[in-house]
Amino acid sequence: MAALPAQLLQAVVATPVATGLLLIAGRRLPRALGDWIALAGFVLPAALAPWLLLTWTDLSIPPEAFRSGGPWGFGLSLNGFSAPLLAMTSIVGLAAGIKAMTQDVEARHAYLGLLLFMLGGTLGVFATDHVVGFYFFHEFALIPTFILTLFWGGEGRRPAAMQMAIYLTVGAMASLAGILLAVDAAGLDWAGATFEGVADALLAKGAPRAAGALTLFGLGTLASLFPFHSWAASGYSAAPTPAAMLHAGALKKFGLYGLALLGLTSLRVTEGALGGWLLWLALGNTVLIGLVCLTQVDLKRLVSWSSVAHMGPVFLGLWVAGARGSASGLDAAVLLMTAHGLSCAALFLLSNDVRVRAGSYRFEEMGGLASRAPVLAAMFVAASMASLGLPGFGNFWGEIGVFLSLRAEPLWIQALAASTVVITAVYTLRAVAAAFFGPESAALARRAEAAPFGDIGWTSRLAAGLLLAALVAVGFMPSLVTDSTNRVSADVVKYARPAAKTPSAR
Amino acid sequence: MTTMSAGIDLAFKSLAPRASDWAAILPELGVAALSLFALLQAMVVPARLRWLIPATARAGLVLVAVMAVTGDGGVVRPADEALFGGLLRHNLPMAGVRLVFLSSALLTSLMAGRFLAARGAGLADYHHVLLVVTAAFMLLVQSDHFVPFFVSLETAAVGLYVLVGYLRRSEASLEAGVKFLVAGGLSSAFLLMGMVLVYGTLGGPGAGDSLSFPAIARALAAGKGTVLTLAGAAMIVGGAAFKLGAFPFHSWIPDVYQGAPTPTTAYLATASKAAGALSLLLLVTGPFAPLAAKVAPALAGLALLTLLAGNLAALATADIKRALALSGVSHAGFLLAAITAAVARTDAEAFSYPAENVVVLYLLAYVAGTFLTLHSLSAVPAREDHERPFISLRGLIRRSPAATAGLCFGVGSLAGVPPSVGFVTKLLVLALLVKAGLWWVLGAALVGVAISIHYYFGILREAVSRPGEDREDAAPLEVGAVSRFIIGALSLSTLAAGVLILL
Repeated sequence: MAALPAQLLQAVVATPVATGLLLIAGRRLPRALGDWIALAGFVLPAALAPWLLLTWTDLSIPPEAFRSGGPWGFGLSLNGFSAPLLAMTSIVGLAAGIKAMTQDVEARHAYLGLLLFMLGGTLGVFATDHVVGFYFFHEFALIPTFILTLFWGGEGRRPAAMQMAIYLTVGAMASLAGILLAVDAAGLDWAGATFEGVADALLAKGAPRAAGALTLFGLGTLASLFPFHSWAASGYSAAPTPAAMLHAGALKKFGLYGLALLGLTSLRVTEGALGGWLLWLALGNTVLIGLVCLTQVDLKRLVSWSSVAHMGPVFLGLWVAGARGSASGLDAAVLLMTAHGLSCAALFLLSNDVRVRAGSYRFEEMGGLASRAPVLAAMFVAASMASLGLPGFGNFWGEIGVFLSLRAEPLWIQALAASTVVITAVYTLRAVAAAFFGPESAALARRAEAAPFGDIGWTSRLAAGLLLAALVAVGFMPSLVTDSTNRVSADVVKYARPAAKTPSAR
Repeated sequence: MTTMSAGIDLAFKSLAPRASDWAAILPELGVAALSLFALLQAMVVPARLRWLIPATARAGLVLVAVMAVTGDGGVVRPADEALFGGLLRHNLPMAGVRLVFLSSALLTSLMAGRFLAARGAGLADYHHVLLVVTAAFMLLVQSDHFVPFFVSLETAAVGLYVLVGYLRRSEASLEAGVKFLVAGGLSSAFLLMGMVLVYGTLGGPGAGDSLSFPAIARALAAGKGTVLTLAGAAMIVGGAAFKLGAFPFHSWIPDVYQGAPTPTTAYLATASKAAGALSLLLLVTGPFAPLAAKVAPALAGLALLTLLAGNLAALATADIKRALALSGVSHAGFLLAAITAAVARTDAEAFSYPAENVVVLYLLAYVAGTFLTLHSLSAVPAREDHERPFISLRGLIRRSPAATAGLCFGVGSLAGVPPSVGFVTKLLVLALLVKAGLWWVLGAALVGVAISIHYYFGILREAVSRPGEDREDAAPLEVGAVSRFIIGALSLSTLAAGVLILL
């Protein structure tokens, strides 16, 4: 029995990679066969990973059951933070896969194959606790992202992909340097360089400050920390919708996950001046990027920018966990990462359905869509409500948890942090109103006359339904995630503040 | 009188090669024999069997490579002692070193076949010279004495002048040949002057043979060096840095690489750079090891400047061959960084690979990446061999998915994108720098990698982007079965090798 979860975990990562390889190698396979192969690659992880989360949370099975040796010396394993993120990724991946299979694109097999690679790499990030291994999987997932953007992307894909490549490489190189410095300072061999191993080794002696700074800003860039965020919105906007869903929803969480398990524990990025930086920059994400969102006139760009803005509360949660020893802030941050992945993917997915009908992402060419596509409107409204943190969806518990953990801070910090709720409400409701309600725009009426369109089909309903169902499930049962995160966040906080006697349990 | 002749007799006896000496350089002898065999074939083989010439050379190279790698320590005697009376000695991991040169020669030959035939240039002479140069490089890196060092270096250099100017009807090729000749002559002069200074200042009665590497190391360790010795050492290191293409000796590289026939460019970029890196490693860890305290900071400075200069210069070019040439300078910087680490901390190792093995692994990865990139590029027709703007690749993904895939793997490995072998070897060098505490060089290396993404990605962007609809020359490209095989095999090796190294 003990070996079973480990093999299932291997299957979660290996299936998308193997099916992706099959599709890319078999360019001339019949379309139906290719579709079945792709479907297997998307469905299997989504069936297994949520189950693994539940199994992981079941205390009767020891965490070692999920650990396995690997061909590179960094074996696969789960921890309390990665288990929910892995499950989230697999669901986002399935929704993205369903979306991709309904699209009519050139070189379909290659498209699906690359998307599967991206999914496999992202799943790999959350399936290893080796500090170089998780970095490796992240880069592995980025390559298909670039190719997908360059060949299948939309307007402005060439400059956007170039900008993204440069930012992400600089961020990745900086964080790699930080990781290597930490491993060196810890004096560990290759196999021992796990999150826990490095943290244990550095607990007494501390890590070089340079490593902390490099990792904070490197991983921060990858997670679109203000002001290193400018690649993100244009990159997501130019990418094809399934790639944007996976990147903004799941892959971007690599940076946050790394900060939580490596940045807080081994490198103590919230100590001293660095911690101050993190606080201010996180507030930059919340407030300034929120204001940028207010000015957007294009639905996909708005969704992209808002996914940058929503990183603010997550960074704040990480900060309060490290700087103040608040384990519940860390729980909330991971919960918010999970929920945001789902809601953000749903918004990208449904925005594309809006575009298919309106012929454009520009608000001025929409309006009154609700009367022609009521289900689309309902689902979009639901995803928007989730995104702005209304109760009933997972995001609510994440945001409220972060705000509550900040309650001992000065009032102005609380006010700035909470302002995200107001700002998000303004731009989200405006977007919903502009796209779906009010009088129909002339452009939309002309399009409807030329080629009548109806509501979204069952595939879109299924894909969006999956994401929304997961959001509602977490919204009503946050313990699905927190039972898992509780098991490590108290430990992480102890590593983050070894000087503090007893981490307060606020 | 009798005592003197007896002394000479004794000296000759000690110098006389033993059978085991020859056994230690079997692969080099094999390559030299293949070279002569190519000439012989050119004389006797009738015109319609000309294809035999490159075919035998390639088969022979494969056999020699198998012998060098599997027979190292068996058929091919390992030599941790002086060979040929102290002229040669195996100070480097020879199996890997030989593989670098042999695979470069083999892949160059595979590229040259169609390339030269299409331009009506002779294949036999090209292979003859190519193999002579390869054998010379392989001897160079076993030198334990300045005489074989200089002789093999010059043998290789003269051959390379021929290979660069090989297309006699191409102005660009001839111009590159002349530039290379002038620059190479200058560097040889420096090298020779440096040897003279070292010999002159360390020599003297009772000093032994002060052209021999161990003797120089002993003399330097005993504190016999003067300012002039240092100047000589600096000149010698400069001469090797020229071959490597390190700053500030890199200015010949873009012009020569761009003008030379593409197979020669590939050979220059790989084998010649490898010879530079390995001989530099040999020198600074061998005869000049006692000067480490002075050499290490100088090399660190060179590495830092080379990394920045190569990458910054490559940013400003829109020609693929030129960009790859300048990116080669930045790879020289990485190699220099590893060599610096070996000097700064003699026990430096990365993931249990000692520094010299890291250099060899880096070179092997670089050989695979460079040839994969150039092989894939050679599928794209160009009006002139020396004019290949980035933009000529536009829409390649539709015209030839195989060439595009090869380009992605090759450029990706050169850029150091995981999980390619290029990433793993870069990681090894970075780990070495961490171990040796060379933080500034580490910073420059990371900045360099970040800059390099701009031009590497620029190449890929043209090839991969979905082209506009108005492209006319979007006809599919024919990629031959052999090219497909080479591209596929090299692509696979860039992926598999990375895993193998970390295992």
